[in-house]
Amino acid sequence: MHMSAITKVVSYIIIIFIILSLNFFLPRMMPAGPLSGLTSSDKPVLEQYTNYMTNLMHGDLGWSTSKNAPVWDVLMRSLKWTLLLVGTSTVIYVIVGILSGAVSAWKKGKKTDVGLLVLLISMASFPPFFLGMLFIIFLGWKLDLFPRFGAQTLFIDYSTPFGVVLDILHHLTLPAATLTLTSIGVIYLLTRNSMLNVLGEDYILTARAKGLSEWYIMRRHALKNAMLPIITLVALIVGLVITGTIFVETVFAYPGVGMLVSDAISAHDYPLLQGAFLFIALAILAVNFIADMIYVHLDPRVKQE
Amino acid sequence: MIEDIIVFLKKYKSNKLGLVGLGILIFFVIAAIFAPYIAPYDPGHRYKSTEHPNSAHLLGTNHVGQDIVSELIYGTRVSLFITLFASIAAAFIGTFIGLIAGYFKRLDFFLMRIVDLFLTIPRLPLIIIIAAFMRPSIWNLIFVFALFEWSITARIIRSEVLTFKNRPYVDATRMFGAGDFHILGRHILPNVVPLVVVQLVLVSRYIILAESGLSFIGLGDPTAKSWGMMLHDAFEYPTIFISDIWMWWMLPAGLCIVFTILSLTFIGYALEELVNPRLRRVTTL
Amino acid sequence: MSILKITHLKVHFPTEEGLVKAVNTVDFEMKENEKLGLIGETGCGKTVLGMSIIRLLQLATKIEGEIWYKGKDLLKLSEEEMRKIRGKEIAMILQNPTTSLNPVLKVGDQIAEAIQLHQGLAKRAAKEKAVEMLEAVKIPDASKRANEYPHEFSGGMKERVMIAMGLACEPSLIIADEPTKGLDVTIKMQIIKLMKEVTKQRAILFITHDLGVAAEICDNIAVMYAGELVEYAKTGDIFKNPLHPYTQGFLNSLPNRGLKPIRGMSPSLIDLPSGCRFHPRCDYAREICKTEHPEIVEKENGHHVRCFLYD
Repeated sequence: MHMSAITKVVSYIIIIFIILSLNFFLPRMMPAGPLSGLTSSDKPVLEQYTNYMTNLMHGDLGWSTSKNAPVWDVLMRSLKWTLLLVGTSTVIYVIVGILSGAVSAWKKGKKTDVGLLVLLISMASFPPFFLGMLFIIFLGWKLDLFPRFGAQTLFIDYSTPFGVVLDILHHLTLPAATLTLTSIGVIYLLTRNSMLNVLGEDYILTARAKGLSEWYIMRRHALKNAMLPIITLVALIVGLVITGTIFVETVFAYPGVGMLVSDAISAHDYPLLQGAFLFIALAILAVNFIADMIYVHLDPRVKQE
Repeated sequence: MIEDIIVFLKKYKSNKLGLVGLGILIFFVIAAIFAPYIAPYDPGHRYKSTEHPNSAHLLGTNHVGQDIVSELIYGTRVSLFITLFASIAAAFIGTFIGLIAGYFKRLDFFLMRIVDLFLTIPRLPLIIIIAAFMRPSIWNLIFVFALFEWSITARIIRSEVLTFKNRPYVDATRMFGAGDFHILGRHILPNVVPLVVVQLVLVSRYIILAESGLSFIGLGDPTAKSWGMMLHDAFEYPTIFISDIWMWWMLPAGLCIVFTILSLTFIGYALEELVNPRLRRVTTL
Repeated sequence: MSILKITHLKVHFPTEEGLVKAVNTVDFEMKENEKLGLIGETGCGKTVLGMSIIRLLQLATKIEGEIWYKGKDLLKLSEEEMRKIRGKEIAMILQNPTTSLNPVLKVGDQIAEAIQLHQGLAKRAAKEKAVEMLEAVKIPDASKRANEYPHEFSGGMKERVMIAMGLACEPSLIIADEPTKGLDVTIKMQIIKLMKEVTKQRAILFITHDLGVAAEICDNIAVMYAGELVEYAKTGDIFKNPLHPYTQGFLNSLPNRGLKPIRGMSPSLIDLPSGCRFHPRCDYAREICKTEHPEIVEKENGHHVRCFLYD
C-alpha cells in the first residue's frame, strides 16, 4: 500500500475514535442541560468510558426509552429503509446530475444551459422538508397519486411478493423524489464547472486537432478529468444527502434511521439519539473513505507518489 | 482601494442574477430591521387559535392564536440574525486561522490538522446532536453553527496567503523592516477580502438551510420563532395536510426560506464569477 | 504541385477588450514536401494562422478568404468534412506538450485513437501502429513506454510524442507550432534532426520565433509581423540578404549577430499602428510609412517584401 493510503487510513481511525469519544462526553459536557440524572453515576469517569467502549464493541448501544427496546435493535429495524431511500436517490441524482452538468457545459450560454441552471439552482434552494410537504399536499392528497407516509401499507395481505414490492416502490416514490431533487443541484453545478475547466484545457484542443468528434472528446478526454475533483467532493455530497434523509424521512414518516433522530429528539430519548448519530456519522465517514480511495486509484499522478 | 470597490460594484451591476439576488436579500433585510413597524401585531400575543385569513389576520392565526403575518415578519429577524452572526463569526475565525496558518509555517501543520479534522467530521449530524443536548436558544444555535462553518474558509484563505506570501513585493516590504503583522494586515489581508466575502455568502446560505432544518425537527428556539419553527408548528398540527390551513400557515414561511436561499445563491454565483483569479488585482491599503 | 494555397486570409475575433485582428490579409502557397518556416515574435498571429488552417478556432471568430487544400476550399467545408481532414490530411502539432497531452490517458492510447478513427484499424492493431510511431521518433523501449502516462516523460520526450501523434495517420501537411520552445539547446537540435528525417515526404509549416532552428529545416521562410507577411524568400536569401527592416532587426537580435534588440514593443493586435505596421519601430521610416500601407512586391529570385523602401 502506498504511504498516502496508509496515512489516510490512520487519520480515519483517529476520527472514528474521536467521534465515539465525543458521543460519550457530550451529555456530560453540557451545563445543566436536560440530562442531569441521566449520566450521573458513582463510578469514576474513566471506568464509565471503558465500559462504554467495550459495550460499543459488542454492539450494545444502550436502551431506547421511547421504543422500549435495545437501541441496536431499533436501529437495525430502520436501517433497511434508509438504505433503500438513500441508495435509490443517490443512483438517480448522480447519473442525472452528471449528465445534465456535462450537457450544460457543452452547450454553455445557450438556452439549454441557462434553462438547466435556473431550474436546478432553484430546486436546490428548497429545504428538503418543505419540498416534501408540498409533494404530500399536491401529489399525495390533491391528486391522490401516492401514499403520504410510511414505507408500506400496513395490515394488507399481498398475495404475491410482487405486490409487496410494488407497494414499497409506491411508498418510496415521493420521499425519493424529494431527496433526489434537492440533491441534484450540487452535483450538477460541480460537474458543469469542472467540465468547463477541462474543456478549456490545451489537451482538448489537441484532441480536436486529431479530428475526433465532440461526443468522443467529451466522453473519453473531458469526463475523466472532470470527474476527479467531483469524486473528492462526493464525500461532501453524500454527507448532504444522508443528513437530508433525516428531514425527508421525518416529513414522510418514513421509518428509517433519519426519522429515529427526530423521534428521539421529541421524546428526549438520548440513548436512541446517540445511537442514530453514531450510525449516521460513521456511514458518512465510510463514504468519505471510499471516495478517497477511489480518487487515489483514478488519478495516475497521485498514484505514483 | 476605493477605486477597486467602485470597479467591483460596476462589474457586479452587469450580472443580472446577482442583482436579482441582492434585491431579494435587501427586501428581507428591510423587513427584518423595520419589523416592529411593519408587523400588525406582537407575534407573541395570542388571539383566537387557527383562524382562517380574515381582515384582522391576513394570514390567519396558528394553533395557539398567534398572528401568522407578524410571526412571518419577525421570523425574518430571527432567521437573518442567526445567519448573520453565525456566518460572520465563522468568517472571522476562518480568516484568522487561514491567515496565520498560511503565513507562519510552524503553526501551519498543526492548524491544518485541526481544519482537516473539522472538515472530515460530518457536520450536520454533529450540529444536530450538540444542539439536541443544549438548551434550545438562538445563541446556542449561533455558537454551534460558527463552530463548524469556519474550516472551509480557513483552508481557502490559507491557500491564498501561500500564493501571496512569496511574491517579490512582500519580500521587498520585509526588507524595509516591516513586521509580520504589518505585512499580513496591509498587504495580504486586502487581497484576501474578496474571497472572504464569497465564503460569507456561501456559508450564510448553508446556515439558513441548516437552521430551518434544525428548527423543523424541534431544536429551534420556541421563544424566538424562525421560519423553520413556524414550519415545525404547522407540521405538528394534525390536520395540516387535509384541510386548507397549509396554504397560509405553511406556504408563506416555506417560500420565505426558499427566496432567501435563492437570493444568497444568486449573489454567491455572481460573486464567484467576479472573484475569479483572472480578474483579481493586487491591492495594498 | 501546390498543396496549400492561402488567399486573402483574414482572422478577427471579438474579445472583451476589443476586436483582435490576428491575421490581416495573408497570402502564400506551399508545394508538396515543401518546408516553410513561419517566423515572428510572440503575439504576431502565427499560431492563429496555423489554427485557422484546420479551423480549430472558436465559433465567434470571423474568418474571410480562402484556404485551398488539394483543390478544396477548407473554409467552405462542413464541420464533419473538416474533421475527416484534421489529423489525417493535415495534422497540427500544438505548442507546449506538457499541457497538450491528456494527463489521465496513456500515451500509446492518445496516439492510437487517431489511427483508429482515420485508418479504421481495430484497437490492438492501432496500438501496435502507435508503438511503431514511438519507435520512429526514437523513443527507447517504445512498447513499454506506450503504456505510460505523459507526466512520466521528460520535455523532449513529450515533444517526440506530439510529433508521433502528428505523423500517425500519415498526413500530407504538418503544421508544427513551436516544437522546440522551452527545450535545451542539445534537445532542440535532436528534435530538429528527427523532424528532418521523418518528414521527408511531407510538407511542413514550421511556426517558430527561433530563426536558427528554422534555418536548419526550412526551404523557404515567411516573416510575419502584426498579422501580415512582411517578407518571403528562400532560407538562404533571408540570411544573406534580408530586405525588410524588421527581418534585419530580427537577425541582429540573434546571439551570434550581436543580440541587438529591436527598439519599441510589439504592437497590440487590437490597436494596430496606421500605415506600415512596423513604422513606429523602424529606423528607416519616412512620412509615407505613417500614412500609407505598403503592398507586397516581388524582387528578384522569388524574394517578396512589403516595404516602401523597395517600391
